[in-house]
Amino acid sequence: MAEKVRFIIERQDAPDAKPYNQEFDVDYRPGLNVVASLMEIQKNPVTVDGKKVPPVVWECNCLEKVCGACMMVINGKAQQACCALVDNLKKPIKLQPARTFPVIRDLLIDRSRMFEALKRIQGWIELDGSWENRDAPIQNPYTARTAYEISRCMTCGCCLEACPNVGPQSDFIGPAPTVQAYLFNLHPLGKFDAPKRLNVLMEKGGITSCGNSQNCEAVCPKSIKLTKYLAQLNRDVNIQALKNIFDN
Amino acid sequence: MIHTTFYLRRLHSLCGLLVLGMVLFEHIFTNSMAILGPEGLNTALEMMELIPKPIFIGLEIGGIAIPLLFHGIYGIYIALQAKNNPQNYGYVRNWNFALQRWTAWFLVVFLIWHVGYLRCYVKGVTGTPISFELLQNFFQNPVVVVLYVIGMWAAIFHFCNGISTFCMTWGITKGPRSQKVISCISMLLCAGMCLITLVFMGSYFVY
Repeated sequence: MAEKVRFIIERQDAPDAKPYNQEFDVDYRPGLNVVASLMEIQKNPVTVDGKKVPPVVWECNCLEKVCGACMMVINGKAQQACCALVDNLKKPIKLQPARTFPVIRDLLIDRSRMFEALKRIQGWIELDGSWENRDAPIQNPYTARTAYEISRCMTCGCCLEACPNVGPQSDFIGPAPTVQAYLFNLHPLGKFDAPKRLNVLMEKGGITSCGNSQNCEAVCPKSIKLTKYLAQLNRDVNIQALKNIFDN
Repeated sequence: MIHTTFYLRRLHSLCGLLVLGMVLFEHIFTNSMAILGPEGLNTALEMMELIPKPIFIGLEIGGIAIPLLFHGIYGIYIALQAKNNPQNYGYVRNWNFALQRWTAWFLVVFLIWHVGYLRCYVKGVTGTPISFELLQNFFQNPVVVVLYVIGMWAAIFHFCNGISTFCMTWGITKGPRSQKVISCISMLLCAGMCLITLVFMGSYFVY
């Protein structure tokens, strides 16, 4: 008999339905991760009591920690299911949807609030044309490494789930979209709109809602130094506030 | 765009660290005179009485009452926006974040009692001047002593952790090294102030 791994999955049939737990056993194999386990459960959705149930719904895509789609709460912590190895997790493994976001079904969540937030902070660069390679504005070589680091953000939502200040009780847009403002402010063309982005961050739900719990950086699967860039943005909005007062 | 939220938050931060921090230091300084015995504290309290009444009342209203009410009321609004989760994310900073809010809740209740009883009722209504003997009598009840020590420790922790978060909020400490240095210094300060509190509270049982 193969060794079994017990999963306790918090399920929910519809956005407004009541959540309930179901337990499943999955055959252990070396290198098994949570996504692979969920695939096994999907093939044979039978609970430990032998009851056949509708397969568990979840989201995944790249399976290599690049797309962010499979973020869920595993043993109480928000993380990517694709790189959560069963060997490293305490058994039984508890899977829950990231309830900071609206739950659609089971472990599937609606992460559109992050994309709405990116629209709010103008997470893009206004272009009015294109350049030949030699004439194009260049990235500042001294900040390029930082820009690359922040650009790896995959809007998975781990930082929003772990942040005590993000949720239905608050209007904080969350660490990830806030720090994206800094990425676009670093860009040689994006910097022209920096005052616009900083002014948005000064509004309700912006950077002032950050309470420095620093959970975001601790859980970021891409190791983005979020707290450092939040502090930099704090500096930038303070200077922007002085400009707003004294430039007029 | 007037950014009311931004200015209120920054005012909350400044008011807590600078104004209420001063109030806390004044309390610890004056109260630590109790270590010297009844004359020590009573002399310090009489010295404060030398400040002309209108200036003293002005300082109490402008330097304590208004900042405290603003910091407290806006602070409740801020605390209500957090869902503390150190049980799942047990990092030091997250514990401090939760403790910052728990101490705040305790202080709201404690300060209503402390200011309401000692300042408004005893000093204001009955007109009894605060003295070593009065406090010694007040602290005969062990529950009062325990609540006062916890109240002081809560205020001290709230202030010292506030130094660390103030430095982040104002963009003074940006990198992890500087943040660590400031948080070490502020926690040392916290330990020191808590110890002084314990010593001057103990002096009521020595003399």
